[in-house]
Amino acid sequence: MITELIAIGLVLSACLAIYLDEAIYSVASLACAIILLTLLYALNGASYAAVFQLALGAGTLAVLFLTGEMLSEKPNREKPLKNIIFVSILALLLSLPLIFFPITVVPANSSSSITFGNALWNLRSIDVILQGLVILTVSLGIVIILHEKERGEK
Amino acid sequence: MMNFMLLSATLLAIGIYGLLSKRHLVKILISIELIAMGASMNFILLASSSNIALGEAFLALAFSTDTCLTAIILALLIIAAKKYGTCDVRKLAEIAESEQGKNENGGDE
Repeated sequence: MITELIAIGLVLSACLAIYLDEAIYSVASLACAIILLTLLYALNGASYAAVFQLALGAGTLAVLFLTGEMLSEKPNREKPLKNIIFVSILALLLSLPLIFFPITVVPANSSSSITFGNALWNLRSIDVILQGLVILTVSLGIVIILHEKERGEK
Repeated sequence: MMNFMLLSATLLAIGIYGLLSKRHLVKILISIELIAMGASMNFILLASSSNIALGEAFLALAFSTDTCLTAIILALLIIAAKKYGTCDVRKLAEIAESEQGKNENGGDE
């Protein structure tokens, strides 16, 4: 039952994140969605994924809050409460199929003996190293883009 | 058990709707985040329900790629907003078109 409630909350907060005009409120709704998604992962036994999601979500949300506050223009008129209630009801209707159409997952015949660390460091070690290179390249690229922009302004 | 595929499809649909209908760059970024959330959730919950640790390991890599994507989009967003003074993608497109037209006219003269 709690999983279904989390799923309904997730769909509702995702809808509000898209619908609300002001960027700060949208980011707050996205924060709710990320927290609910983390709970969903943790309840389904994917604890590592929950920790990763929470850590990355916290970073992304902090940056989005700052950017949203910095760049958003105040909307000309407030959205009426009636519309927000309509979107909430629409989100509830969208989440109804999740409850009434269950899925049966066939578990694997033999329980896998590969642990998370084993899978990451032994089976996918090249991927991890390449991922580090990708992150380094992206951070250098962002520094170059911002530096070029500053030079262009001067 | 709840149908996680439907949940991830719902998140994907909401994200695509936001991507098509919203004009503010922060909203577009939030839509992309929702799409990524839907995709990763499908992967993680199916892997964890089948007791496969490799799925979570893949997702650790996918999360970092997703964060890189967000960082690049945010950098471009800040540059566009500071240079043109707006976050509206249609206004940005109009400004780019008018600049292109000016450049072409300058080239003809």
